[in-house]
Amino acid sequence: MRTAFAFLLVACVLARPAHAGRSFYGWLYGTEVMPERGVELQSWIQDENDKYGTRIKETWLSWGPLVGITDQLELGLPVELVWSDIISPMDQSEKVSFTFKRFGIEARYRLVPPDPVEAPPFSPMIRVAVKRDVTVRDAVRIEGDAVLAYEAGTFQGLIDVGITGDLAPSSRHFELHPGAGVSVLATGDLRVGVEVYSELSLDSLAESWATAGPNLSWTHGRFWVSGMFGVGLYHVKVAPRVIWGIAF
Amino acid sequence: MRAPAVIALAIGLGGLGLAGTAAADVQAGGRVAGTVTVTESDGQPAAAADVIVYVVGFNEPPSDKVTTIAQKGRKFIPALIAITVNERVAFPNLDPFLHNVFSQSVPRKFDLGSFTRNETKQKDFPVPGVVDVYCNIHPEMAATILVLPNRRHTVVGSDGKYTLDGVPPGDWTVFAYARRARPTSARVTVKPGGEATVDLAIVRGAEPAHLNKYGEKYHDGGQTYR
Repeated sequence: MRTAFAFLLVACVLARPAHAGRSFYGWLYGTEVMPERGVELQSWIQDENDKYGTRIKETWLSWGPLVGITDQLELGLPVELVWSDIISPMDQSEKVSFTFKRFGIEARYRLVPPDPVEAPPFSPMIRVAVKRDVTVRDAVRIEGDAVLAYEAGTFQGLIDVGITGDLAPSSRHFELHPGAGVSVLATGDLRVGVEVYSELSLDSLAESWATAGPNLSWTHGRFWVSGMFGVGLYHVKVAPRVIWGIAF
Repeated sequence: MRAPAVIALAIGLGGLGLAGTAAADVQAGGRVAGTVTVTESDGQPAAAADVIVYVVGFNEPPSDKVTTIAQKGRKFIPALIAITVNERVAFPNLDPFLHNVFSQSVPRKFDLGSFTRNETKQKDFPVPGVVDVYCNIHPEMAATILVLPNRRHTVVGSDGKYTLDGVPPGDWTVFAYARRARPTSARVTVKPGGEATVDLAIVRGAEPAHLNKYGEKYHDGGQTYR
């Protein structure tokens, strides 16, 4: 029973948010939003391999529609599933699971017009989300991101500072998720760049990790895909992430 | 080369033509007048409706006015307008259903999203050129915005006649532009207080096919759906 509780706690605490939104990056939110009444289906997959000294391996899959409420505000309804292989730090027992982890609602508000002609070089975006944890019935996750992008011709630089909070009656856990990246239009609709991303625990319930690597983004009509191959900088071996979306 | 590309080049060169020149002396300007003759591609004469005449080669500041292209009856009304660089265009939806106005033209790409009856969205146009505007929902809707370097432009009357006043003295190029047609042009010399006559002829063709905002063909072979 105690082991089971430990697994549950670890799985809950270490569960990562899946991201939403159009982006040139793998781990970072972009500042673009859907046009008014636009609809897009987005999916993303991320691997987090050998976190905390090979104890945890996770693959997250998230899927959900995004709807443009106005030209600057979009609403998302993500659903998240996770496969995990966790070795208990208490007794070294291993548990492999694949489960429906969370669902929720999120809003992304771009503070400047989306039109590239009307927008200033700096475009900020704020994101907030509330998600229900299916595996821990009375737990709720809150997420927030402040994103600032700078555009100059074919270049974009971006900073994303995110925060997450796992709130349950008996425990609270908070993390800071800072990241930054650059992306340059290489040719046609193809962009390349690099980025760095980290998840920093603000308490003792989890450890921190960080990754960095090259990213790639490609748009083709109503379809777009972006991804990053993250090499571990701290407490993770590799952390690749791919996002794709189809607009309607 | 498609007609819009031709005229875009003409407008662009016209704008550059006065890049180093002082602002046009409109007060001491002259008049350019004439007649535009329109024929269909089969040689039949056509009404000179929706034809714009303009002069390029000098720059002028924009006015404060906002020009309107309404969406009504699954049409853009009017389907052809001319504005000066940095002027604004309003796009009111007067239909009881959604429209999604967009442009993929190089001088001004935009996507207004889908908006409903009595909503209006505006855009400004800071770069000279030809901007083709479509609806992503209704493929039969098409309009053109001529973004010109000066305010010397006018809509030709139903009798084909036009008058441009306040054209600064100098040697310029006069264009006649209509949708579904190659623009035609002629050189003109304007003298202070003088009047120059320029008659132009254009031949209309078929409406060129266009793609939706994702670069795809419209569904159902281009038939309207709501």
